[in-house]
Amino acid sequence: MNESTLFTTTFILYILSAFFFLTLLFSKKDKWGKAGLGLATAGLVFHTAALLLRTFQSGHAPFTNMYESLSFLSWAMVLAYILIDRKFRIPRIGPYLMLIVVGLVALASSPLMPKEATPLVPALQSYWLWLHVSVTLLGEAFFAVAFITSILYLTADSEEKKAKMDSVSYRCVAVGFPLFTLGGLVFGMVWAYKAWGTYWSWDPKEVWSLITWLVFALYLHTRIVMGWKGKRSAIIAVVGFLAALFTYFGVNYLLSGLHSYA
Amino acid sequence: MRSVWKFFASVKLAIVLLILLAVASVIGTLIPQGRPPAEYAAHYGQLAGLFTGLHLTSLYHSGWFLVLLFFFAVNTIVCTLSRLPAKWRRAFGPKVEAEPSGLMALKVKSRFGKNVPFAEAQAKLETLLSSRHYRVKRQSAEKRLYVLAQKRKFGHFGSDAVHFGLLVIIGGGIVSGVAGFRTQMELSEGQTVAVPRAPFEIRLDRFETEYYPQGMVKAWKSTVTVVEGGAGILTQAILVNKPLTYKGFSFYQTSYGSNWDQPKLEVTIKKKTDPAFARTVALTVGERAAVDDKDVSQISVKRFVPDFVIGEGNQIETRSQEPNNPAAQVEGWKGEKRVFSGWIFANYPDFEQMHSGQPTDLSFVLKSFRGSEYSVLEAARDPGVWLIWIGCLLVTAGFFLAFYWPPREIRAVLEEGRDRTEITAGGHAAKGRESFEAEFEALMDSLRRSS
Repeated sequence: MNESTLFTTTFILYILSAFFFLTLLFSKKDKWGKAGLGLATAGLVFHTAALLLRTFQSGHAPFTNMYESLSFLSWAMVLAYILIDRKFRIPRIGPYLMLIVVGLVALASSPLMPKEATPLVPALQSYWLWLHVSVTLLGEAFFAVAFITSILYLTADSEEKKAKMDSVSYRCVAVGFPLFTLGGLVFGMVWAYKAWGTYWSWDPKEVWSLITWLVFALYLHTRIVMGWKGKRSAIIAVVGFLAALFTYFGVNYLLSGLHSYA
Repeated sequence: MRSVWKFFASVKLAIVLLILLAVASVIGTLIPQGRPPAEYAAHYGQLAGLFTGLHLTSLYHSGWFLVLLFFFAVNTIVCTLSRLPAKWRRAFGPKVEAEPSGLMALKVKSRFGKNVPFAEAQAKLETLLSSRHYRVKRQSAEKRLYVLAQKRKFGHFGSDAVHFGLLVIIGGGIVSGVAGFRTQMELSEGQTVAVPRAPFEIRLDRFETEYYPQGMVKAWKSTVTVVEGGAGILTQAILVNKPLTYKGFSFYQTSYGSNWDQPKLEVTIKKKTDPAFARTVALTVGERAAVDDKDVSQISVKRFVPDFVIGEGNQIETRSQEPNNPAAQVEGWKGEKRVFSGWIFANYPDFEQMHSGQPTDLSFVLKSFRGSEYSVLEAARDPGVWLIWIGCLLVTAGFFLAFYWPPREIRAVLEEGRDRTEITAGGHAAKGRESFEAEFEALMDSLRRSS
């Protein structure tokens, strides 16, 4: 199988997974959630194979343009969801997460995204590419799960569901925030120093990572020190995810700066 | 003084500052930073004056942003220090003594009697606690033994490590800003340039652009030699992502270009009447080359432009310094008399228009051209960078401690009866309470069951 077949198979499995998960919203039977999770896991296996194959064929990390980066981000989101589900058994995240994943994969598959693997431009020829991008995107994937659980918190109808969503949301931030700090800011600064001779240059992408960081710092301080839980915490987590999304996506298309790769 | 301390010890201030810093940072990405004033005037009209007045056009270096950062730093220091003594006592100097009634008031607790002698119960308890990596302290009283068991004490200081790390990073930023220095150096091949503030010079031996087979740029590579006291000390290639560091100075591949002042050219001479004739001569601008022809004795190149364009007023100009449309002005001579003159184009070898006094049999092709390449290196010395890395390590370690190294504490009171020991135990964990409860239950269970 070549990479494009693997990727298409992944896409189909994710769509089926989203379909079964959506059925769960209308019929409360466990089996729909189990089917959704099983298909997502199968999709992740094919997705992993597609990413590995691309890495071997291109000889570099599979996140050097928008297509690769979207593919990797959706991979990280499915992985984050499966890990969270193993710990907390929370199938209600599934429908929303898989819908977002299907959207991202569809965007990656769209004709607007050039898909051919191109050789690395000089600026990206560094092993920090691996560390910086993979750890950052993994952190952002956990922010995405925190975003969904926060939205579910805000729309939940019972106190029991709310308590569960609030706690899972916090646990996702507790994983995502250190990863984002390490990958995005720390590894980013190290690489910037190595490539450009300066660890911080107030480039829009750097500043938006900092903004995202400040929002999640606010989340932790209001929650741990001032005891804000529930609604206000959920709103801050949503804002934090939107800032992360803008850092990832918006900066490239709306603001200009040094990070002109992906 | 006291009220100043109180002001800075407030978490509310920290929250206000986090929000202000975030909002200011957003504004700085919406308004382009550090552009010439005319650009703002053209783009924002009347608002431009307001923007420059509030320093929004150089926001991250403005006085008010630095004041905000200063407040943030002081707030972080005071908040951290004011909470540190209590944490320190909790981690390193808690009282071993505790009343059974106090322990029974805790959320995680247990009380039971065991038909074993006092010493045996103590040994069992301590073995169990040590097997789960608790450090045990004990204190005896009459017919009683107090036990304090702790583990992962450093978990108390996770947030302090993050805060301290951030302060070290801010300190590093100040050192970089005050003592750091950076400059761009433009070097042509073979040129030696003194590095400002450094006791050595840098010579560019060679600059190369390497390409992939598909034609994309693979690498920009400057081979340089460090020259100290007239002698070459070390030769190394500088690439993007691979700087050269020597005596605290680092050199980064930043840019490159071609200099067309003294290009090396090759012109092929052909004869219209003799298609088999072709002779190539190497020329520089102003230099003459002999030609074997009855009407022309020498040719020369009067001028070379890398990107030929006819500008305003029919002037011949170059549009850029890139060799997009290289052209040379060729002149033919008979003795000191100029017999023709015209432009030839590397990209259009068939196009040729010679203005000549008399018809000529010769035609010319601009076969090759080469400017001298120059490389732009950024020279930088940043004594603050080590503080940045130390700060980053502290922040990372602090996050790990804060989220994944939760401290735990178990206290127990053993009361001696006749062949029987009464055990009261209670525990405390600020984070990860569920897994702590499970551990506590398991511990008490094994203690109860052990014989």
